[in-house]
Amino acid sequence: MALRLLWASRVASHLRISVAQRGFASAVLKDLKYADSHEWVKIEGNKATFGITDHAQDHLGDVVYVELPDVGLSVSQGKSFGAVESVKATSDINSPVSGTVVEVNKELSESPGLVNSSPYEQGWIVKVELSDAGEAEKLMDSDKYSKFCEEEDAKH
Amino acid sequence: MRSPRTLEVWRLGTVNYLKSLKIQDKLVSERKSHQIPDTLLSLEHPPTYTLGKRRTDHNLLIPQSQLTKIGAELHYTQRGGDITFHGPHQAILYPIISLRSIGFGARNYVETLERSMIEFASMYGVRARAGNKCETGVWVGDRKIGAIGVRISCGITCHGLAFNIDPDLNYFEHIVPCGIADKEVTSLRRETDALLPKEEVIHKQLITCFAKAFSYDDVVWKEDPSFILDTKDDG
Repeated sequence: MALRLLWASRVASHLRISVAQRGFASAVLKDLKYADSHEWVKIEGNKATFGITDHAQDHLGDVVYVELPDVGLSVSQGKSFGAVESVKATSDINSPVSGTVVEVNKELSESPGLVNSSPYEQGWIVKVELSDAGEAEKLMDSDKYSKFCEEEDAKH
Repeated sequence: MRSPRTLEVWRLGTVNYLKSLKIQDKLVSERKSHQIPDTLLSLEHPPTYTLGKRRTDHNLLIPQSQLTKIGAELHYTQRGGDITFHGPHQAILYPIISLRSIGFGARNYVETLERSMIEFASMYGVRARAGNKCETGVWVGDRKIGAIGVRISCGITCHGLAFNIDPDLNYFEHIVPCGIADKEVTSLRRETDALLPKEEVIHKQLITCFAKAFSYDDVVWKEDPSFILDTKDDG
């Protein structure tokens, strides 16, 4: 766990944002927004970058395949746009925002494991041009998301 | 204090693969909208090869045109995993369950499916184990006895597991099973000297191991399979 906090702190100082200090489990970065299906999104003006969270990658296991959408695809908040495969399971990824795909992380075709090793940086999945910037209000901030993860993990 | 968890079980006999996909689609949609509780389908398929989302058809070793000659179908699916074979005397479980209500991700889910099969095998004195990394499934030594391939959509599962009771293992010669080239496939018949009871009994035992592994409080055995087999959009 100490290693995880160290990693998260390094990421945070590189991104110049602060880390929510949690005593256990996955890293959650402040200044990102989160969906309850465990995707994170970074919004910069009318562009957004997103991927899956550290909690998600931990619960998935080693990712062996990422199904990327085509550039130009319209995505809708909460709707599936692609999938990841791990441990013989394909899990849908839902878009945390609505918009049009402008770029996908082609590195993931060769190195799907980046989703596990660097979920908030090199493991980003999609960049979109937002169609409705107000939708971000529906997402969780880092504190809410941390609590959400704790509640989910307490279920079993 | 958590509320009691119920599993509804449908034992369907032999079901054509495409039909089973239609049934699962309907149940997934009903589970997502909370119309039904966690549901388990227990069935067998006629001889069928299936591929996962990655469409690894290079692991089918005979031309597709030969499949009818050997009495088998081929289907492409959205599940995880590589190519596999389903056929008579192979017990299949398709759980349509909500992982979010138990806080499970893919990894926990698949590990618990593996544990269900390992527990079941132990009832016949067979010491099975979970696969090593990248070899998800259940093994006896270096021989694969149980396969897994699942899909998770909005936290609801479909597809599932296949456990070899006594299928015709020759069908596996026409594929690189699960994309793993140098390992054998085996069956309960091969691995145990114990007398195997009727398959209905065996299926029920496997279902019970599943229900126990996933900590269900109640198991409801649905008696009339025609209720979900007679889907209106029958193809």
